[in-house]
Amino acid sequence: MKKLLNFVKFFIPPARWRLPVLLALGIFTGTVLYLIPTSKALSYLSDKPETCINCHIMTPQYTTWKHSSHSRVTNCNDCHVPHTSTIDKYSFKARDGLRHSALFTLRKEREVIVIEPEGRAVVQQNCIRCHENQFHKSTENFRDTQTKAERTCWSCHREVPHGKVRSLSIAPFALTEEKP
Amino acid sequence: MKNLSESLSSKPLLSWLLFGSTAALVIALLALAQTIQTRKVESEFRGKPLGELANFEARNEAFRKFFPKQFESYYSTKDTSFRSEYGGNEPRDMLEENPRMVVLWAGYAFSKDYKQGRGHYYAIEDIHKTLRTGGPLSPDSGPQPNTCWTCKSPDVPRLMEKTGPSDFYKGKWASKGSEVQNTIGCVDCHDPKSMNLRLSRPALKEAFARQGKNILESTHQEMRSLVCAQCHVEYYFKKGPDSIANLTFPWDSGLTVEAMEKYYDNSGFKDWIHKISKAPMLKAQHPDYEVYKLGIHARRGVACADCHMPFVSEGGQKYTSHKIQSPLNHISTSCQVCHRESEKELIANVNERHKSVSEIKQYLEDELVKAHYEAGKAWELGSTEEEMKQILAYIRQAQWRWDFGAAGHGSAFHAPLETARLLGSGLNKAKDARLALRTLLDKKGFSGEVSLPDISTKAKAQEAIGLKMEVLKMEKQKFIETILPQWKAEARQKGVLDPQSP
Repeated sequence: MKKLLNFVKFFIPPARWRLPVLLALGIFTGTVLYLIPTSKALSYLSDKPETCINCHIMTPQYTTWKHSSHSRVTNCNDCHVPHTSTIDKYSFKARDGLRHSALFTLRKEREVIVIEPEGRAVVQQNCIRCHENQFHKSTENFRDTQTKAERTCWSCHREVPHGKVRSLSIAPFALTEEKP
Repeated sequence: MKNLSESLSSKPLLSWLLFGSTAALVIALLALAQTIQTRKVESEFRGKPLGELANFEARNEAFRKFFPKQFESYYSTKDTSFRSEYGGNEPRDMLEENPRMVVLWAGYAFSKDYKQGRGHYYAIEDIHKTLRTGGPLSPDSGPQPNTCWTCKSPDVPRLMEKTGPSDFYKGKWASKGSEVQNTIGCVDCHDPKSMNLRLSRPALKEAFARQGKNILESTHQEMRSLVCAQCHVEYYFKKGPDSIANLTFPWDSGLTVEAMEKYYDNSGFKDWIHKISKAPMLKAQHPDYEVYKLGIHARRGVACADCHMPFVSEGGQKYTSHKIQSPLNHISTSCQVCHRESEKELIANVNERHKSVSEIKQYLEDELVKAHYEAGKAWELGSTEEEMKQILAYIRQAQWRWDFGAAGHGSAFHAPLETARLLGSGLNKAKDARLALRTLLDKKGFSGEVSLPDISTKAKAQEAIGLKMEVLKMEKQKFIETILPQWKAEARQKGVLDPQSP
């Protein structure tokens, strides 16, 4: 406790520095507050699929999902983040999201985006989570995506749900008006 | 531990550091906010409407302000930094890499100089500088006719619109030097009123008409290959009245290697007489379109543009990349749109096709080199035309198949099975030629092996076939120094070239 108090004390400026420090902190806080609505930061805490097209990279994925049967029962997070615990969910989402926003800001996105190995494992587990009763002995080893990652549900069900053709350019003008 | 306030009062530099880093952080945050705003707006941006342009506006720069992304990507075919295992856009010296070709083309211009094609940006520069066009110092001299310009520039349809194709083809290559100056560009494939795809040259339309097909009924997807097929095809110069060299596609009986051979045989056509074997040879130009048509991608309806000019998105704006090049340089934008394998795996798949095909190609080259020299020996030993007739026919057939498989750089990928088949059939013909030659040589009392000259390098091979390379290079140099600047100055004066053009 005493250590913590010392730590806080360390940052307290002397009296004649208080005003400039307050001003500087004010500018900093204001900028951050301005960034929150600009970047729609709060939407990232939700499960709304429209969040995923805040930037335009995922528009084809959004559009293909929207027109698929999966849009009646799932949103993006149902498949693309783990549902093992809340902590797992948000930590995965945070890591994934930071990677995406960094790539997008630096214009490093590829023309055809490809799911990362961690993401593959998550999606596979989520297929199983809902389709448990469709599992058969012959597909039993599909459960283990860590060691048998070469076979996934979509190795055969290739078009589920995002279709066969993939590129940032396949549906560039889809639903700009639907963006939140 | 001293607290921060005390440190600050004793160290003014630390205060400044703190101030500076806070400022930097705020700047970074504002910059982030700024890019977020920009990226929201840029995806809404659309191109400007098209202005008034002439039907065959050959100055490519006139299109720049209307289609900046297409224009910039097109002019980035200037890039020559990509080298794949079997191709790329570097000007690789193919004769240096494979000197056997010098012997195969003995007596024909390709034995002087043959390089891997660079991007469209260099079409004019490269035809100026290749030794194949010689060093003409006057408008009516030099080895080539005006027909050689046909595929090099949008100035060609501009001139053809005025005078008609025959008058364009008439005369020597050097006579139109100052008129044909813009490199391949916009109106070669586009109608500037609507920017729809349009065929700008007659040979392809004529070839379709002779086959009884109406090219105007082609779908948009077919047009995305046909605009390329105006040039990337097998062609020859059909001599008309006044010995005008009419650009003609030999497609009347079909697009396969055998169908075109039949066409040439029926009209008794030959490109040249081989210097060593005296065989009446055919030169395959670059039957890219024909070979592609026989491959699986064409069967599934994939067009040239799908892979060589893929759609790309920049800042949420979709456009067609006009940097026409080997898709091996952009697997992600081309192959992976349909194929889910990794980039490495896909490149390996392409290269293993090239490797297998080029293995058969090399067997055939070895046989052909020997066949030419053995035929030369047979002549030397006093063989008659009658004795040689069938042998020379085999050599012509074998080399036609080799060239058909070798001249298109992408054939091993476009149609691996067809390319392997035609090279295999060529190998068979070459073996037939050598078998007949062996019998003939024995009959003439020569039982040993025919000795081959040293053709281990381009220079040695060129010397072996009696090319005077120093003279050719000097002629070219003189042409480059005296004639080229003249052409350019005249072109600028006449307004053929845009002031912004390179």
